Amino acid sequence: MDNDLLNILSNSNKDIDNQKLMDYLGGKLSGKDKYEVEKWMADNEFVNEAVEGLQDFSGKKNLQAYVDQLNKDLNHYIQQKKLRREKRKIKEAPWVYIAIFVVLAIVVIGYIMIRKLLP
Amino acid sequence: MANFNSSVLNPDRYTHISDLELLEQFYASHDNHWLGILLPRYTLLLLGVCMKYLKNEEEAKDSVQQIFLKAITELHKYKVGYFKSWLYMVAKNYCLMKLRDRQGRISVEIKDQMAVTPEEDNNRHLHLEKDRQLELMSNSMQELANEQKLCVTLFYLEKKTYQEIAGQTGFTLMQVKSYIQNGKRNLRILLEKKLNA
Repeated sequence: MDNDLLNILSNSNKDIDNQKLMDYLGGKLSGKDKYEVEKWMADNEFVNEAVEGLQDFSGKKNLQAYVDQLNKDLNHYIQQKKLRREKRKIKEAPWVYIAIFVVLAIVVIGYIMIRKLLP
Repeated sequence: MANFNSSVLNPDRYTHISDLELLEQFYASHDNHWLGILLPRYTLLLLGVCMKYLKNEEEAKDSVQQIFLKAITELHKYKVGYFKSWLYMVAKNYCLMKLRDRQGRISVEIKDQMAVTPEEDNNRHLHLEKDRQLELMSNSMQELANEQKLCVTLFYLEKKTYQEIAGQTGFTLMQVKSYIQNGKRNLRILLEKKLNA
């Protein structure tokens, strides 16, 4: 009890447990788990404001769909950005790739000529 | 409902890696791949914060996308120490800007210094001996308004849920949350006064 009294003013930097949060919003948690999420809310303003907003969504299934879509879009954006950067690298330094091509061409042509000259 | 944590973009092999480690990997390589693992951890919280301020599901969704883009851009420019608090600040600033554009009023932008983080929280009383800390906290609790003292006691010391406290006291859920939040804030103020005395 003494430690509980001392820790009232401590804030929480607990890792996010999104599944537990969703279960809380869906009313699926038991007393102890429910208390754990509410304590997390009381100790962390980010979580507290988030839960207040999440409770206003029209349906938990919508919420799940929104999160999945946002994560997919984010991944797509990151992949596209990476591809654009790699294309830019080729455009900016074409001579490297041309040089590699020329060397490879010389090696292949040289090999073919040597094969023809040998008895 | 499918397990929330097994999304395509947050594969199980990364769940044991902390936010700090992901951020360090990002800063070492400047590869957005690491942000692609870190940011989805906060999608749900960001959606909630945006909804709280903007009161519109579509706007909240669009705002989360914009916040992701802003976060990626800013993270390339400077080092962030406390990612969760920083992301919260970015989200709040974005929402306040949207509200300002909507309503034409000037809102206060939250600066870095205003974002209180657990690590930065000024728990000056912690350098005192435990007995002295207990004495100060106990005295401060007694000085709270009755409703705040009751709710803080039931929540933090007896570990009751909001619903249980509401049932026991007759307060609404909103009142219970408010008494706990205000009680905590007032405890902090009272403790500061005692430390400064």
